[in-house]
Amino acid sequence: MTPVGLLRVLALGWWFHLKMLARSAFNGVLQVLWPLFFATIAFLMYGLGRGDRALLYAAIGASVMGVWSAVSTSASGAVQRERWSGTLELLVAAPVPLPAVLLPITTAMATVGLYAMVATLLWGRFLFGIDVSIEHPLLFAASVPVTVLSIGMLGFLLSVTVVRYRSGWALGNAFELPVWLVCGFLVPIGILPDWVRPISWVLAPTWGVRAIRESALGGQPLPDLALCLLLGLVYLAIGVLAAESVLASARRNATLSLS
Amino acid sequence: MPVIEVEGLRRTYRTRTSPWKRAAREVEAVKGVDFAVERGELFGLLGPNGAGKTTTIKMLITLLLPTSGRASVLGYDVVDDPREVRRRVGYVFGGDRGLYERLSALDNLRYFAELYGVSARDQKARIGELLELVGLTGREEERVEGYSRGMRQRLHVARGLLHKPEVLFLDEPSIGLDPVGARELRTTVSDLRASGTTVLLTTHYMFEADELCDRIAVIAGGRIVAEGTPADLKGRVGEGTVVEVEVFGDAGAALREVQTMTGVRSAAVEDRGHAQSLVVRAEPGAEVTQRVLALLTGVPVGRVATREPTLEDAYVELVGQTAESDAAAAAGEPDGVEDEPEEVRA
Amino acid sequence: MTALVNAARIFVFGGIMSYRALFHWLTPWILIPSFLVGPIAQILLFAYLGRSAGVASDEFFVIGNALQYAAIPCLFAMGNTIGDERQQKTLGIILSTPAPRVPLFLGRAIPVILNGWLVALFALVVGGLMFSIDVPASAYLPIVLVSLVASFSCTGLGLVGAALALRVRETAVLANVIFGVLLVFCGVNVPLDRLPDWMASVAQWLPLTHGIAAARSLADGASLASVAGEVGKEAAIGVAYVLIGMAMLSYFEWESRRRATLEVF
Repeated sequence: MTPVGLLRVLALGWWFHLKMLARSAFNGVLQVLWPLFFATIAFLMYGLGRGDRALLYAAIGASVMGVWSAVSTSASGAVQRERWSGTLELLVAAPVPLPAVLLPITTAMATVGLYAMVATLLWGRFLFGIDVSIEHPLLFAASVPVTVLSIGMLGFLLSVTVVRYRSGWALGNAFELPVWLVCGFLVPIGILPDWVRPISWVLAPTWGVRAIRESALGGQPLPDLALCLLLGLVYLAIGVLAAESVLASARRNATLSLS
Repeated sequence: MPVIEVEGLRRTYRTRTSPWKRAAREVEAVKGVDFAVERGELFGLLGPNGAGKTTTIKMLITLLLPTSGRASVLGYDVVDDPREVRRRVGYVFGGDRGLYERLSALDNLRYFAELYGVSARDQKARIGELLELVGLTGREEERVEGYSRGMRQRLHVARGLLHKPEVLFLDEPSIGLDPVGARELRTTVSDLRASGTTVLLTTHYMFEADELCDRIAVIAGGRIVAEGTPADLKGRVGEGTVVEVEVFGDAGAALREVQTMTGVRSAAVEDRGHAQSLVVRAEPGAEVTQRVLALLTGVPVGRVATREPTLEDAYVELVGQTAESDAAAAAGEPDGVEDEPEEVRA
Repeated sequence: MTALVNAARIFVFGGIMSYRALFHWLTPWILIPSFLVGPIAQILLFAYLGRSAGVASDEFFVIGNALQYAAIPCLFAMGNTIGDERQQKTLGIILSTPAPRVPLFLGRAIPVILNGWLVALFALVVGGLMFSIDVPASAYLPIVLVSLVASFSCTGLGLVGAALALRVRETAVLANVIFGVLLVFCGVNVPLDRLPDWMASVAQWLPLTHGIAAARSLADGASLASVAGEVGKEAAIGVAYVLIGMAMLSYFEWESRRRATLEVF
């Protein structure tokens, strides 16, 4: 498969799955509302105590919560969903390697999270008076898609590793809040116990959120962004390897279809 | 050189009855199957539900790994070279699923065209061609969720043909279709064969196999019990007559006696709703009607008809024989394999 | 007397059936992440948020989230029961039997409430250990008892939500929204005295608010008798929601019969 061909498959796959996700109104409403509740609690709590800087910090982090939620709850169920619609077999039977089919799906999920991101920022602005002005617009404009892509890659890894378990969605669900906490979305990772720090460092969202914050509030987002992307590629690589073994097992144990 | 070669193919499933119990049941869905399909042939795999047809076809499309045995498609081994096989085969299955509901038919075809390696240059023309072939031109912008079962099936076929496969696998394509839709599908399938594509079709409708296929393999209980052209198979039952007696009572006791009567090839009792039908296959020249009726004294009988055997009789007899021998085997070995293997999840 | 016995039998039998249905699909892979990791993750998130914002104590968040997490499934239990019955097209049949409604539906919620009870206990113990909270051992049982009452009143709210969902259709969205509202309003994480006045007022009429307040007092060493008032309010709110829910169900059922909207039931 040529590199251009591969890019086409990835891009078109992303586009079509994005279309499908966007057409599911139910998904949309909930995905936007859900992080808003948590953001509200954070804003109320910070508003009481600390002050503007903390609120800004929380507002930006909270906006990315939606992107992670969109992926954590759905990515682990992505394969199961394809199985349900009878399309999994067709995807596996395609000459394109399965990772090239799954990555666009999880990246589309992350992209839909952008609705929540915008909603949270607007919510913070109009209900809590949190004024997020962006210091480096270009870098901001770069940080957001890179973060979305890396979260998509993390989602891809999740989708492949839990696919063997029919109840993998429960695992994915369980990761939602821990990532918010450990990646410093709402609280600075400095206040977490020392042994948690390395875990934060190997999670791409940590660096993505940092990059977004720094491009908004002022700082050096580029190194963070690079690290975010690098980690994303590492997840991709692990996922690709895992996909091979998972597929072989699925063919052996007849788990590609519902019957 | 045959396009599809299957040798001693077997597939066993392990199922766990509950997530808490450790014991597993083993079910052998395909018990050693051999056949070959030549280029340009329309080959039918005919059998009742649970016979192992879908399992066999999935092994050939590389979606399932065989437990033992060999199979190759276009010279490529299904276990060692799955990617080569996938590039050259198409897979179409019956039913409502297998399409993205929230996308239009056109988007579905575009997506699958990309996945199946149709070059960007050719996509538009190819999609247009196929929509025309299956009669969906003009409806392609509509979302699949609004499509009828017949339209979905046709879209499925179009999808399976996007990358111009040399071999097309059709798994029960007319299931659930209304008669008109099914007939249209059959026409499409025969046109395909006419254009040089090799087709392997699984079905449990014997008239469909009879009408479409160059050769048929009858599969029951995971084994191939007969193989040949439809004419060959009919020939197996061509001689003799069939006597059907409508029975309003229990024909079971009489059945055993009838089966051992001289001149009787086979006998079976079929349920026809309000009554049962005792179907007796007699050797040519044997007069069995009076003797059968004599055995049924005391049991109310209705119509008695004598006719020529059809392919259906051949099929029922072959499938019935397998069920009986499997039941006997299972009775002999208490922990042996089930006599009606179903495709279950591992 | 027979009416009472009958009611009890329906209650228990429905509960047992629901239990079996619940655990048929409950594999360790669902159980551990959802019931064990889930509450702890929630406690951790908010406890650290509290620390970062300098609001309340670790104990505040452990108790608030433990009770909330345990009560939430009860919110969904009624919706699921009604949803399942409706999907199987048996809802109309059940509602048309002479069986008394209250024990019928509440019976189905029993395993979920009991399950929540265990989860609350687990979350309290583990959360308590993690943050080295100082809760007198004698307070654990009363707290868990209070949790039961809070779960019951959430069940009541769930019944109202489920009745609404019959008309509204999008059950899952509604349920998740209620979850979020409770999380924000009921003093689970934001102390009531720090909420805007209107929110604190609304909270008085929602489940969980009084129960959690009582549980926190108990953790501070108060006696069960001294929190009886709060617990009583919690129970009363629960009963009120159950009655409202049943009334709504009856109304919708009558209305659907009148308008022949069979699809609803």
